[in-house]
This record gives sequence, C-alpha cells and structure tokens, in this order.
Amino acid sequence: MMKWTKTFTSIAAALAISLVTVSAQAEYPKKPINVIVPWGAGGDSDLTTRVWADAMEKELGVPVVVINKAGGGGVIGTTFVANAKKDGYTLINAGLSNVLVTPNFSKTPYSFDSFVPVVKFTAVPLGILVAKDSEFKTFDDFIAAAKTNKVTQGSWGAASSGTILANIIADQAGYTPKFVHANTTAESMVSVIGGHIDSAVSFPPAFGPHVKADRARILVMNSKMDAYPGVPTFADYNIKGSFEGWSGIFAPKGVPEEVVTTLVEATKKVMKDPKVLQAFNNMGAVVDFRYGEDWVKDLKETYAIMGEAAAKMKKK
Amino acid sequence: MFENIIQGFATVFAVGPIVGIIIGVTVGIIFGAIPGVSGIMAIAIMLPLTFYVDPVVGITMLLAVYKAGIYGGSISAILINTPGAAAAFLTAQDGHALTKAGKSGKALCMALYASVTGEMLSTLVLIFVAAPISLISLKAGPIEKVYLLLFAFTVIGSVTGESISRGLLSTCLGMLFATVGMSSITGATRFTFGMPELMSGFTFTPMLIGVLVMPEVIMAIRKRHNPQANLGLTVSPNPEDNRISWKEYRSVLGTIIKSSGIGTILGSLPGLGSTPAAFLAYGEAKRTAKNPEMFGKGSIRGIAAAESANNAVCAAAMIPMLTLSIPGDDVTALLFGAFLIQGITPGPTIFFEHTQVIYGIFAGFLLTDLVLLVLARIGFKFWTKVASVPRHYIFPCVTIFAFAGAFTANQNINDVMILILFTMFGFGMRLVGLNPAAYLIGFILTPMLEQNLDQAVAIVGSEYHLYFTTPFAWIFTALAAISVYSTIRQRKKAKRPVMAKEEKYDLS
Repeated sequence: MMKWTKTFTSIAAALAISLVTVSAQAEYPKKPINVIVPWGAGGDSDLTTRVWADAMEKELGVPVVVINKAGGGGVIGTTFVANAKKDGYTLINAGLSNVLVTPNFSKTPYSFDSFVPVVKFTAVPLGILVAKDSEFKTFDDFIAAAKTNKVTQGSWGAASSGTILANIIADQAGYTPKFVHANTTAESMVSVIGGHIDSAVSFPPAFGPHVKADRARILVMNSKMDAYPGVPTFADYNIKGSFEGWSGIFAPKGVPEEVVTTLVEATKKVMKDPKVLQAFNNMGAVVDFRYGEDWVKDLKETYAIMGEAAAKMKKK
Repeated sequence: MFENIIQGFATVFAVGPIVGIIIGVTVGIIFGAIPGVSGIMAIAIMLPLTFYVDPVVGITMLLAVYKAGIYGGSISAILINTPGAAAAFLTAQDGHALTKAGKSGKALCMALYASVTGEMLSTLVLIFVAAPISLISLKAGPIEKVYLLLFAFTVIGSVTGESISRGLLSTCLGMLFATVGMSSITGATRFTFGMPELMSGFTFTPMLIGVLVMPEVIMAIRKRHNPQANLGLTVSPNPEDNRISWKEYRSVLGTIIKSSGIGTILGSLPGLGSTPAAFLAYGEAKRTAKNPEMFGKGSIRGIAAAESANNAVCAAAMIPMLTLSIPGDDVTALLFGAFLIQGITPGPTIFFEHTQVIYGIFAGFLLTDLVLLVLARIGFKFWTKVASVPRHYIFPCVTIFAFAGAFTANQNINDVMILILFTMFGFGMRLVGLNPAAYLIGFILTPMLEQNLDQAVAIVGSEYHLYFTTPFAWIFTALAAISVYSTIRQRKKAKRPVMAKEEKYDLS
C-alpha cells in the first residue's frame, strides 16, 4: 500500500515537473496579462501604470489589462496578487506605500518578500509646501516654528506613506508637525492654498500646478528637478534618507525567471518611446527606470529603514 | 471671450469631436444605466484611447461619458428601482413610483430634461464666471464643509416617511455601518473583527443594491400567490402620461434653476461630489413645494430637483479643476490625468496657454448636452418597453445584474457576499419599518463628515472659538435650523384631516 502511494506520488511529481518545464519553455506571454492597481482610477500610480501597460501591449502582443482593486489602503489588491497564480499573468503595481510602508506599519497578509521586483518606471520626490503668502520663507523658518508643535501639516492618513516620511524628516530636523489628514494629497494642497492649514507634504503631480500658478511654494524636496530650480533638498539640511514615491511593477514570488526577463526587456524598449516618456513627464513624474540587483538592494535598504521607523513609532 | 467661444464651436464642429461625443454619450448612457457599472469605469477603460488623439476629441469624449453616465444612472433608477449611481437614488424614489403607475415615460422625460437643463446652466456658469467662483470655493475649508454636511443631513427629514424616529434610527444605522473598516484618517481598523475582507469597509455599490433593490425582488416573490398583486406593469395608454408637457416643464423650471444653482455651488467645492448636491436640492424642493407629501410617491418635482442638481455638479466640478487644478471628485481626478497626459496642465494659465483647446472643450460640453438630449430621446421607446415587460422577467434580470454588478466593480467575490448580507439586512429593515433611504444618507454622508470633522479638529486644536469665526458656520447652521423647523411644521400640517384633494401626481 505504502509503496503504491509512493509510486503514485513520484509519477505525479514527475508529471508536475514536466508540466512546469513545458509551461516555462512555452513563450511568455500567451494570454492577457492583468496588472492590479491597488488604488482607485486616476491617481499617480494608476496613470503611470496605464501608460506603461498601454505601451507594453504593443511590445508584447497581448492585452495588458489594468484592473483597479482599491480598498484597505492598498492592502486588498496587493494581497490578491501575493496569493495569485505565479505564472506572470497577474502583476501588481508596486509603490512606496503598498510594498514598503504598509507591511511595516500595519498588519498585512503579505510582506516585501512575497514579491519579486520587476521594474520601476517613475519616481516622484516628496516636498514640503506652504502657501505663497506664508510667513515661512525657508525650511529653517519652518523648522523653527514647527518646534512649538503648533504648525499644521497636511498629509493623507496616519498610516500613509506621506505621514511616515514626514515623521522621519521631522524626527531628524527635531520638530513635531500637527498632522491634518485629508483623503488625498490633492485635497491637502487645496487646504494649503486656501489658507486652512500651514503646510503640506506632497508630490509634484499634486503640487506642480499650484507652484506653477504661483500659489504655493516648495520649501524643500527630495531631489532637484529641472521644473523647480533653486529648491533645496533634504540632504542640504542634513536629513538622511530617500523620500520619494515611486511606481513600478512587482510579480508574486515564485514566477519563472523568464517572466521577469521578458518584462524587463520589453520595458527597456518601452522606456525609449518618446511618447511614453512625454506622458510620464506631463504627469509631473520623474522617469526613473530601474531593474535588476542594484535596485532590489536599494529597495531592501529602504524597507529596513521603514522597519526601524515603525519600531520607533510603536515605542512612542 | 465671445470670439473664443465661437472659435471653440468651430473647433468642435468637425468629424473627430462629433464622433467622439456620440461615442462618449452612447457609452456613458449604457454604462450609467447598468447598475453596478458606473461611468467612472467607462472613463478609466477609455482613457488610454485618448492618448493618441487630439486633446479636443479625447477630452470631450471622456466628458461626454461622464455627463451621459450620470444621466444614465437615472434610467435604471426609474425603470427597475436600481440606481446606477449613488446620486440617482433619490430619482429612484419618485421615478420608480411613477413607473409603477404606468408613467415611466413621464419620469424618464423629466429626468432627461432636468439633467440637460442643469448641465447647460452649470456649463454656462463654468464658461463665464469660473474664476470668481473658484476663489470662493477655496475659502471653504474643512471647518466650513463640516457645517455644510451637517446641513445636508437635514434631508433626512424629507425622505423619512411617517415616523421621524424610525428615520433617525435608520440614519444612525447607516452611520454605524459607514465606520466599518480601516479609518483613512487614523489607520485604525474598526468593527472588522479580524476579517481582512472588511478592511475596506462595506463596498458601496453592492450594499446599495442589497438594501434598495433586492428586497423588492423578495417582496415580489412573496406576493406571487396573491392574485391581487399586479406583477406586470402596464404603460398607461394615455400619451399625456408618458411625456412632459411644456406646462409641466415650466411648472418645475423654478425648482430646476434653484437645484442647478445648488448643484453648481456644491460641485465647485472640491471633494463633495454629486450626491450631497442631490440631497440638498431634493430637500429644498420638498421644503418649498406646495404638496410635499407627494415627494417619494411620484413627484416630478422631486425628480427634477435631484437630477438637475446632480448633473449640474458635472460641469461645476470642472471649475476648481480648470481654474485651481484641484480635482473635485474621483471622475474629475481621472479627467485631470487625461489632461496631464495630453500635456495640458489644468490651472489658471490654461485659458491663455491653450485657449483654443479649452474653448473647444467648452463648446464640446454644450454640444454634448444636445447630443445627449437627442440620443436619450431615441432610446425612450425602447426603455419604456422595458418597464412594461412583466415583472417575472424583469426580476430575474435585475438579480443577475445585481450580482454581476456587485462583482465587476472591484472584481471581488467578497462584494457578492456583501450584496447577499445586505439583501437580508435590507429586507429585515423593510419588515420592521426602517427607512432604506435614510439609512443610505447616513452611510454616504458619514465618511465625508468624519474626514472633514477630523481635519477641523486638528486645525482648531483647543481654540474652540475658531469653529464659530467663519460666516459659513452661522449661515449653514441657520439653514439647517430652518430646514428642521419647516419639516416639523409640514408634519404638523400633514397630520390634520385628510388632504382636501388627491392628485395622481404632483403638478404643483
């Protein structure tokens, strides 16, 4: 009896292995690829993913379908992909919030290690903004005032990436902002230029138009951008760390090597298309095409920094 | 300025934009009319299509989907009592009552005319006075919005039936259910009992269908052995009953204009969306109507108020977007993306940098209204037939739509569970006499109120006097008080001996 079971298992195993090899040898992709965006339609993550998916469709010759699975602060959609079939036909739009921040600060059914990073296509540097007529002319003015704990700062939720980054910055600069949480960073910006709050943390797609229209001022941001000359960076104030939102693609852990290679190769071509680059640029995002080991190492470092920050916050 | 507008029309009267508008309107009506599939989904799907066409074509097409989608929501609301969009659920109250009386054509006409009028009026406001309005809307911060939302809550008085206490209880239940899930403000999870499925709270569409629509189906099944129950709805043979005469239109024109005004103002405040506008307009129309007891029982005035207000929001929501680069709701956020991808940054400079495009889009707005009027009118014959199909064909279809709609929104099987759960809940509410409309108002308004209240509290801190320094605080508190007072007075009046004359439908 025992023997029979053993034989059966080994046959099944052999069959399974051969099936796996067959499917791995077969050309990927053969059918439509679903990319899950764990947010509602219309946000930066959604738009960048749509631009990428649209271009990839032509490159790969199969439909690349963007599906919005919003809810639970990005946890619902991300969990769905973490548990999805590891065949490369279900991918997730990864970003700072859903793969780096939330797994550290909230209880999630997945972690950073549930995924294989594929590519990153854009980044958006975080900035601290005030209204045009604000009394804070420089970040130093702001720090001095914020030490009194009376300066309000707009963000988008206590457990959101914006608040986490803002806290890490404030911790190093030695002030404590009084957070005012709106639904989205766009709403925070309204409150800033409407004079309802003193400052906000935000990204270029949300603050860009206000800065261009001369209604808001960037005090400091993560990295220099051509569009905003003369704005100091966090590094200028000796604040360490990388404070940027980004958008990219992850696959569930265990997908065949070939999937990642195919997607990276196709993305390489897509990222040369001037139309795609223009579309990203128009959104206010910085094209930051990365893939491979270096990038994964950087990601892991940031993940560790977030972990430390989370531990610190929990102690408080 | 007039020169620009005329040039705008010249831009739009070309094959590309017109075809775009026609496609957009058709897609919008269909997506809007199918319960559970909203216009925003259609816009998201069509967005990549617009990358490669001229901005005037692409953006007017998306806007056409948006506008037609909001109108489309009223079709299913009227015919099968299934609002395709949250804003249409007040339309369902009165519209479906008319359908039951065999006057679906009248309800559809009223909804269409009110929608188009509301849109036209707010588009004109958008074109001519966008800039000053946008500056006012900036003044409305979280504190002001708290008062505005408190005022919006007074609409409960207009939708509850005989028992105010049951209405209030229903609202409280709605408020309680709205808090389920992860708080977007604090990140705390509430009432999830450790179930990750509840992290995002109860999904709105399946819950709406569950509470509002499925109990109707169950009721129909319960009545199947009752020979008195009229399962097939006949369309009234009198053609007068299935259209809106000029006289009728004129009689509600005042309401339409007022409601469009409410819609325009609320639409230009970012972050509120079309539902509160429909609530306020409906409440106001009922408060000032001569025969408020008809509201909810087939009042064309009620339809006119709700529809013109929620459609006026469409164009008005573009005001903060175009002048201040602030997307007012989820749809405008998506449109904002469409503009950006086209290389146009919405903002005050848009009028100088992209004059031709922007006025082309404005002209496209007005043209869309006309196309909507014509296309929707063509569809009427078909739709009124739908209403006369025997209920035992309709209800199975409704059930299928309900389940499919619940699933498609997020492609999540949990949403189907939510639908089933709330079907039972909604049926239970009916059995004990609780009010689903009041329940939904609590559910819809509470998250907005909570969010703004939390921000207001954070801003004010311990300086409580700041709550009362804004004139909005006093104005909206006064309006809320007036609204409550007049509801109470109306109720007292209604309790007096039977109404002098009974009207079949509201004409006042």
